[in-house]
Amino acid sequence: MPLLPRMVPVLVLWLAVCLAETWAVDRGNFKTCDQSAFCKRQRALKPGESPYRALLETMELTNTRLTLQLINDNNKVRLLLELYRLQGNITRVKINELKPLKPRYEVPDVLIREPPTEPLSLLSQDENGVVLSLGSESQRVIISARPFRLDIMEGSDVLMSLNSRGLLTFEHLRMRKDTQADPEAEKKEEADPANQAETTKEEEEKVEDGMWEETFKSHSDSKPNGPSAISLDFSLPGVEHVYGIPEHADTLRLKTTENGDPYRLYNLDVFQYELYNPMALYGAVPVMLAHNTQRTTGIFWLNAAETWVDISSNTAGKTVFGKMLDYVQGSSETPQTDVRWISESGIIDVFLMLGPTPKDVFSQYASLTGTQSFPPLASLGYHQCRWNYNDQEDVQSVDAGFDEHDIPYDFIWLDIEHTDGKRYFTWDPHKFATPKEMLQGLMDKKRKLVAIVDPHIKVDSNYKIHNEIRSKGFYIKNKDGGDYEGWCWPGSASYPDFFRADMRAWWASMFAYDQYEGSMENMYTWNDMNEPSVFNGPEVTMHKDTVHGAWEHRDVHNLYGFYVQMATAEGLIQRSGGIERPFVLTRAFFAGSQRYGAVWTGDNAAEWDHLKISIPMCLSLGLVGISFCGADVGGFFKSPSTELLVRWYQTGAYQPFFRAHAHLDTPRREPWLFGPENTALIREAVRQRYTLLPYWYQQFYHAHRTGEPIMRPLWVEYPQDPATFAVDDEFLIGRDLLVHPVTEEGARGVTAYLPGKDTVWFDIHTFQKHNGAQNLYIPVTMSSIPVFQRGGSIIPRKVRVRRSSTCMEHDPYTLYVALNLQRTAEGELYIDDGHTFNYEKKEFIHRRLSFAKNILSSVNLAPDAQFTTRSWIERVVILGASKPSKVTLQTADGQDSQLEFDFDASMSVLTLRKPGMNAGADWTVMLQ
Amino acid sequence: MRFQVIVAAVFWSGFVESRKVRGISSSYKRFYKERKSFLCIDGSKIIPFEQVNDDYCDCEDGSDEPGTSACPRGRFYCTNLGFRPHYIPSSRVNDGICDCCDASDEYNSPAHCQNTCWNLGQKERAYVEGQMRTLDEGLRLKQQLIEEGVLLWREKQAQLRELQQVAEDLQIKLEEHRRRKHEAERLKEQTLKALEAGDSGLRHQNRTETSIFQLLDSNKDGSITVDEVKTKVVLVHDEERLLSEDEALGLLGGGHQIDLTKFRRTLWDVLTRGDSVKIKDTPGSDDPHLEAADKAAEWEATNLKKVEEAYETVNMEISDLRKKLAIDYGTDWEFLFLNSQCYKLKVYEYIYTLCPFNQVTQKNTAGTEVSLGSLSISPHIHQPLEHISKVLPGQLSFPSEEVLPSAR
Repeated sequence: MPLLPRMVPVLVLWLAVCLAETWAVDRGNFKTCDQSAFCKRQRALKPGESPYRALLETMELTNTRLTLQLINDNNKVRLLLELYRLQGNITRVKINELKPLKPRYEVPDVLIREPPTEPLSLLSQDENGVVLSLGSESQRVIISARPFRLDIMEGSDVLMSLNSRGLLTFEHLRMRKDTQADPEAEKKEEADPANQAETTKEEEEKVEDGMWEETFKSHSDSKPNGPSAISLDFSLPGVEHVYGIPEHADTLRLKTTENGDPYRLYNLDVFQYELYNPMALYGAVPVMLAHNTQRTTGIFWLNAAETWVDISSNTAGKTVFGKMLDYVQGSSETPQTDVRWISESGIIDVFLMLGPTPKDVFSQYASLTGTQSFPPLASLGYHQCRWNYNDQEDVQSVDAGFDEHDIPYDFIWLDIEHTDGKRYFTWDPHKFATPKEMLQGLMDKKRKLVAIVDPHIKVDSNYKIHNEIRSKGFYIKNKDGGDYEGWCWPGSASYPDFFRADMRAWWASMFAYDQYEGSMENMYTWNDMNEPSVFNGPEVTMHKDTVHGAWEHRDVHNLYGFYVQMATAEGLIQRSGGIERPFVLTRAFFAGSQRYGAVWTGDNAAEWDHLKISIPMCLSLGLVGISFCGADVGGFFKSPSTELLVRWYQTGAYQPFFRAHAHLDTPRREPWLFGPENTALIREAVRQRYTLLPYWYQQFYHAHRTGEPIMRPLWVEYPQDPATFAVDDEFLIGRDLLVHPVTEEGARGVTAYLPGKDTVWFDIHTFQKHNGAQNLYIPVTMSSIPVFQRGGSIIPRKVRVRRSSTCMEHDPYTLYVALNLQRTAEGELYIDDGHTFNYEKKEFIHRRLSFAKNILSSVNLAPDAQFTTRSWIERVVILGASKPSKVTLQTADGQDSQLEFDFDASMSVLTLRKPGMNAGADWTVMLQ
Repeated sequence: MRFQVIVAAVFWSGFVESRKVRGISSSYKRFYKERKSFLCIDGSKIIPFEQVNDDYCDCEDGSDEPGTSACPRGRFYCTNLGFRPHYIPSSRVNDGICDCCDASDEYNSPAHCQNTCWNLGQKERAYVEGQMRTLDEGLRLKQQLIEEGVLLWREKQAQLRELQQVAEDLQIKLEEHRRRKHEAERLKEQTLKALEAGDSGLRHQNRTETSIFQLLDSNKDGSITVDEVKTKVVLVHDEERLLSEDEALGLLGGGHQIDLTKFRRTLWDVLTRGDSVKIKDTPGSDDPHLEAADKAAEWEATNLKKVEEAYETVNMEISDLRKKLAIDYGTDWEFLFLNSQCYKLKVYEYIYTLCPFNQVTQKNTAGTEVSLGSLSISPHIHQPLEHISKVLPGQLSFPSEEVLPSAR
């Protein structure tokens, strides 16, 4: 009997491995920790007593920071610890070499500013350590001297400990001391007995492979700076759930990594990526969230080099039964999660975001790296993409297809084939001879286009962009000082050094209408391949020993895509004279990328599991600030079954970035190619998206203001309900919509968890009311998209779905008021011009809608803002209402009028007919 | 009666004009008669008439809002006077995009739509006229091609008949020649047998002493020598062996040469007895009858062969012609003329050559030619006609790219 439960996971694993083999990434192209010299080296160190000791006598405490030297008793190398108390309950810990041989890389441009500090005060000090107060709350930092460790306490609880497992390491920069080393230097060391210990140690280190040179497959990495890795462990007492550190194709809740590789953060173009494993993908956000019913915290490890994250837990191995046994026997130790970060170079610069609520962590992280950019409203509509729309005629006919089948869309996309021989910023002279004509055609329908601009530049002396970058010396250099050349779509290509501000400024200027020929204001940009992807490079990316000015690519790698999107977005802003909001999609990203546009989950596949994984992948991104996330609807590689395609549209319609995309080799799959029945199903899914655009837009405005995720895990709103902690087959949009898409083939029903003990949820299609805190079985058909509106919320919709979101600009709103058990509800309505930065100049309408005591009213949330709209309120639908005898509308001018209404007793739905007030006005509706 | 009808018509039109329900076609006007209330066309609901086109959707079927964008399933009727009327989805009413050419869909929108129906109508009419002209031209051409086709068809049929006649004639000739050849062969055989029969003396009865003398006198000098005897005379029982000098001398009566007189007494006697020697049997060469019969047989064989060849050629021509005639050239043979034509099309670096009812090839600039197979046109798809009217054989263009997808 006991054998069986053990066998099952093994069998499942074995099956999974076998299945994965049939179609999957070529794992051999990508490093395991064992194949990455520094990771192997660092991981070989096991928890134990740290060799580091804090030299308390070196402590300096100013109003804003504490500094303190640490010494490694093994090699006597000294480190400098800096500790800051940042505004908003954040502690920053920086550790660098006290006197590095040369500067070590510190990540610029990711923080939106030098984070403002708060005073630290010394509470007590003795020879064992120091206790500091963290602001006004009862939070303290305890610095223990021997061995060095940091503990952050609140009351008697330890929130987080650093180096508690003694895994702090700092490979100091050193001169190469191999056979070619300076013989005099060696003599000197021999002569100096005081240095004996250090020499011995260093000689020991010298033996290790991969410190000064490393090879992977046929690629060799010269390491002129030698070993430079850093590592630090974090213990999270009371924590069993950690999240974040995207991008991985894995569950929302991170797994322990003891029996495999650590989670890897190294931006890579992974061909046909595999699901449910810790391999690196296109982007990296080194931010982890830890959550339990009491508190949410976050760790932001600001380092752009290759990074590995190990997670272990003292409860991970235990079964539910085991845990119960612990509980019954009272022998339970506190659950704890231990995390260890390892990076190849740079410094330790870590921000401890101490919550305590999930929303506090979001706001703390936003205060460091900024919030989601506020996109043009149209970019929240549906995007039709394919590699490739062949020519202008093709674009025109697909555009016409949408009208013919009455399916709205806002953007059509052009992949790499639209260019003249993969020379970005150009057009194929035959297929796209008159791009402005094409763009004008789209503009006449109030639609837009996205053209791809990748960062690899064809090496071709007849190509203006190449010639300019080359003559300006803007290319990344190889280790010998020449322009680095790799192989990508255009053949031989070089890579602009986006780490240079002057390069980025030049790049941005290339998007000016007079520079980018054939571009118009309804054309936007897509940055792909910006990991950067180098087909013939190690792990399909750039050699680590290429040079960016003073830095090696090794130091900066994960930032490349961030900068590409930054420069591109800047270009789109500049071309309009700073008036229009940009829209830029990127594949690679880093912490802070949320400020520049949207990301998607890269080259997925037309498989049910890929549909499923789109949910945790975007949820993980949302948790670390990147809200504008989506997966290729339909799946990029391979061809979806009709059922999968329909289900993917239904899921994508409720994810922030909603774009269908397909590989060049797949058959066409525009929504109308699968028979009238499926066209109707897809049309309906897309129309649902469009009716909810006002809500989506308001969510983006909110995310832009607060940094809160738009697509969010249930636990963010129900942080005290452990049943929500690992849920990643359903999600919330904002606070008020709960979506459980159908992601199973042939599904006859889904079981959705409706959270909230005193909460009710209304099916948005049937208006049926369900109680919270239950698993609800929902029978489904092909047309079902299980979505629920939270009782207590008011959601504005525009139910007149038109050809594109822009066509709906002046349309009236329908308010869906879902009453909670207290018969109240609240919501917001945000309106602006939808495309300019004028909202920053207070040109918007922001209203609070509330229902209480049978009175629904709209009050101004931003009295200092100015905007007028032609939109009006055409209908109010109150869910969970009782029948009134009379409904009176009172407008700002004091006029009363009776409203007609309709009451559906079976579902308790009250519909107010045509109240007609302007959406920007003050008004009150009374039910009597 | 007639007066009443006119009055009713005037009244009716006046009545309709006064109501102006936006977005409906005249056939639907009966549903929108001005009354106190309006019944949704699907019968689901009755609403006050003021709520028709009041920019709020009351009817499930959208019938109360034919002129606004309020109903999700509604449709708006563009009258498009001067052009073609049609329906658009209600969602396109007042969306800032001009959909109806009479601008009726954007009556309350910032889009400044112009009424372009007249122009469109003009264009359409011009287009239709053009189409008609093209069609007429096409039909004319078709007629012409039919006439030509019929002629050509008849010509080919006549040709076929002629060939068949020739074949028949040849058949007769062939039989005649076969018979004659057979006859000649039989004659030759007979002659040969007769010659063989002459060995038993019979043949000499027909021969005079003089003729035999002349036969033996090879050099025609009036005397027969020993050598001449040796070449022409053999033993009856041993034809293969040459006579010896002595035997020859004996036959000549002991002299080395004899004249006709002496011959009569010596050799002639021996020969006519026929039991010891005979004249060497050299049929054909020495027998004129046989030679003639042989030549005649050979002649007849040659003649027969010639006739056989001719017959075969004609039959092949007939079968070729039959094959061509078996192809479907359309009901009236209007595509017959295509049979001998080829067309070229240049697509990027490729030149395609299309020969209807025949080969299709693709040639690139490097000159490499690839056969793409044969093209059979089903002439019962009558669309190509229009193209045919525009593209005549010899022009370096193609009827249409659709005919042949570019092989890229």
